[in-house]
Amino acid sequence: MTGIASRQGDTQARPRRTIPGVLVAAVLAAAGILGAIQAVSAALDRPLWKLPHRDFAGPFQHTHWNDTATLAVAAAVAFIGLVLVLAGLIPGRPRAIPLASGDESVVTGVPRRSLRRSLARLAEDVEGIDRARAKARMRSVKERATTRLRDTAGLREDVHSAVQDRLAALDPLWLPRVKVRLRRKAGG
Amino acid sequence: MTRHTARISRAGLILIGLILLAGGGTALARGLDAFPAVLGRAGAALLSHAQTRYPAGHAWVWPAAAAAAAVIALLALWWLAAQTRANTVRRLSLEPDRTHGVTVLPADAATGVITDELESYPGIQRASATLQGSPAAPRLQLSVTVEDHADPAILRTRIEAEALAHLRTALELDTIPTVLRIRFSPAHHRHLA
Repeated sequence: MTGIASRQGDTQARPRRTIPGVLVAAVLAAAGILGAIQAVSAALDRPLWKLPHRDFAGPFQHTHWNDTATLAVAAAVAFIGLVLVLAGLIPGRPRAIPLASGDESVVTGVPRRSLRRSLARLAEDVEGIDRARAKARMRSVKERATTRLRDTAGLREDVHSAVQDRLAALDPLWLPRVKVRLRRKAGG
Repeated sequence: MTRHTARISRAGLILIGLILLAGGGTALARGLDAFPAVLGRAGAALLSHAQTRYPAGHAWVWPAAAAAAAVIALLALWWLAAQTRANTVRRLSLEPDRTHGVTVLPADAATGVITDELESYPGIQRASATLQGSPAAPRLQLSVTVEDHADPAILRTRIEAEALAHLRTALELDTIPTVLRIRFSPAHHRHLA
């Protein structure tokens, strides 16, 4: 069993990159299977497709390294490679906000999307707030609320303390800083 | 799933990415005439006439290519399987000492008991649980949907001190490494529990 901090980091917070991994694996498997079939049919001298393997290399003889098409394909391949390397290396934005836990064997987290929506609903419950949206990160929560009230005195503070109290009750490993922006909508 | 899958996905992506980056980069360098002494002329054809004739004159080329492609396909399929494997435990062995016989419990029964218990707590709307890893030392993935206004501290204490403790007792395990996901939901469908 590794330390709780590394389990937090590995299992909960960071994206696993399974989706790009599965996509690349599927493409590679398909390419390998098609390539194997083509090579077998060429070995048996029985081309399966209209593509005659004898001069499959025909186009390659008339294309040059400094042709625009070659350069474009090479650049695209290199770019895809770079994207895949970065996808593998970059930890990615945490998917969940880790919460403190009383039990060593339990790792607890709130998915960021769920927290975002919950905090938005929380702000909308504040008297005078019409609509609210929230952004949740590990260390900061930003709430944008809209009101129709003309007198907005204290409203921002109300939202702020409601969000702050909720976060404190959740007991996250790192208590995020709360920022509230209030917009007044005309016609109230 | 989880850590192991992440490592497999990421390692594979880095490997394939490096191969594509190296290949594409080399081709690009040659096309841009960067190192003509090493890579060859930029104006040359991709394949020379002699190169295109090579397979016809050497019987081993196509079988070797077929074998290489098959190996790539198999490795890719293995990678695919390793990433998509759910790794779910279906049956739990309750009696680790085989001389006393083997007791097997369907994992559904264990997870059903804990989700029923969790859903009976006020404030919890839904719960789902899966056991993963090995039947003798499973890990638990627990997901609960909690009403917005429920007290998270009380719920977490109950989950850890009651539900998980009951599961540990039922499975005769000292510890079950658990990942607990808490989602929030508006309290429209209020439980009568």
